[in-house]
Amino acid sequence: MPDILLDLSSVTIRFGGLTAVSSVSITVREGELVGLIGPNGAGKTTVFNMVTGVYQPTEGSIHLGGRSLAKLKPFQITDLGIARTFQNIRLFPSLTVYDNVRVAFHRHLQNHSLQSLIRSSNFEEEEANLKARTVELLTLFNLQRVQDEPAKSLSYGDQRRLEILRALATKPRLLLLDEPAAGMNSSEKTELLTLIRFIRDTFDLAILLVEHDMKVVMGICERIHVLEYGRKIAEGTPSAIRADPKVIAAYLGDN
Amino acid sequence: MVPPKSQRLLIATLAIAALISAFSGRIDAYLLDVALGAGISIVLASSLNLINGFTGQFSLGHAGFMAVGAYASAMLTTTLAPKLMGQTELLQWVVFPLSLVAGGLLSALVGVAVGAPSLRLKGDYLAIVTLGFGEIIKVILQNLDAVGGARGLTGIHTHTSLFWVFGSAAVTVYVVWSLLNSTFGRGFVAVADDEVAAEAMGLNSTHYKITAFVVGSFFAGVAGGLYAHLKGYLNPSGFSFDKSIEIVVMVILGGMGRHSGVIVAAVLLTALTEVLRSFGNYRMIVYSVLLIILMLTRPQGLFIWPLKKRKST
Repeated sequence: MPDILLDLSSVTIRFGGLTAVSSVSITVREGELVGLIGPNGAGKTTVFNMVTGVYQPTEGSIHLGGRSLAKLKPFQITDLGIARTFQNIRLFPSLTVYDNVRVAFHRHLQNHSLQSLIRSSNFEEEEANLKARTVELLTLFNLQRVQDEPAKSLSYGDQRRLEILRALATKPRLLLLDEPAAGMNSSEKTELLTLIRFIRDTFDLAILLVEHDMKVVMGICERIHVLEYGRKIAEGTPSAIRADPKVIAAYLGDN
Repeated sequence: MVPPKSQRLLIATLAIAALISAFSGRIDAYLLDVALGAGISIVLASSLNLINGFTGQFSLGHAGFMAVGAYASAMLTTTLAPKLMGQTELLQWVVFPLSLVAGGLLSALVGVAVGAPSLRLKGDYLAIVTLGFGEIIKVILQNLDAVGGARGLTGIHTHTSLFWVFGSAAVTVYVVWSLLNSTFGRGFVAVADDEVAAEAMGLNSTHYKITAFVVGSFFAGVAGGLYAHLKGYLNPSGFSFDKSIEIVVMVILGGMGRHSGVIVAAVLLTALTEVLRSFGNYRMIVYSVLLIILMLTRPQGLFIWPLKKRKST
């Protein structure tokens, strides 16, 4: 069995008097595709926000590959290898498609502010190298055809895919997808399933996925965690989850 | 190895500035004065463009940073000048530019001091803090007897020439342009677009905002030094809130985050105040009315064209 990559152990967060997530433990192993489901308001996005450093858990600990993420800022956590997409797409609307991906490469670069002023041959070489890598990534998702358009002009589906691509440019070990299928029609969803599998296999990473669409979740996840009112009520393989009476009562419904 | 195109352009601009400057004796004194004022405006507007335009922070303190640089460099040259009596060459070509840099550095230092604690604020709140900072600087200067207090600082040598003004303008534009046109630099715009997403992509947004503030206030300080050695006289009231607004208007009319638009707007607005002199006492009224009309008709900036496709391969 592969090593544990992400380890949330008894994580709790309170906002004033409200306990949004209560003593939740979740693990994701290297290369695993894990789903996180539950009714609206169950705390799924809050879990994402704690893993990425937007919120600090009130209790409990989060580790990535054995390293504690406590007190780290979001950009430092990205440096350690966690990248995410957002429930409501958050691209850089005024930057071009190309630049959206390019800025995400930034952390793998040696050059910084001063070098962009001096513009040594070394710097120019590095920038050219980066251009090639950016275009290569864009081509993988067939987005190179719109690479010079501002991101805001893209179609909804392309924006979703660009956001995933931008996250991949940071070279994550763990990719968090927050409702990637939201707003997609059924053929786009089928495409998305293929895309997510393709990403996992090509980029050698683990994926933690929040999704309401059961076709997507049951179709690709190897393991599923179920949250309700901030607590974890079940964990297991898709078939086990589908048969779990607690999950059926809380979320799936019986039909 | 041939330097990149941007650097060749910078060197060419510096050479042209030096050449024209050598013949500045033949230029009409009034025109020369307006041209120098316009050049200083380019330095101010381009540097503020980095903060307000590209990085999306609303600073209203640019006149304050300008004042810091103006007083610092003027104090340096006026204290050193008597010790270098007769050595005008040394004063003009060594001490004066060093004083500009020193004024810029002090201004940048103040930029960090103001920026670091207040950059967590956004939009209107940051505007209020920077506005307050500008007024504090003005009041401090008004009450500091060592720099002449409210009477002003007199007896500053007038070293500012076309070369220094347009040389500084060229360097400012080069620095802002080069910073922005790199993978690192697209991060400024990313932070302006969506800070949460930028952090999630591994960009340290605080670092970007402070860099913008430091570079912006450095060049505001340089512009202050140029201004001091152009007028030969400094008064704190010249660095009030109005001055900051004037620079902000240049950036907005130029189209936030457009390099060339902001340069043209800086020149146009400087020239406009001169053209309107014929209106006498009504000058500022006409100026304000024109600004209102421009804002109503071209809120996106005077020089915003449909987005040009940029080559990226």
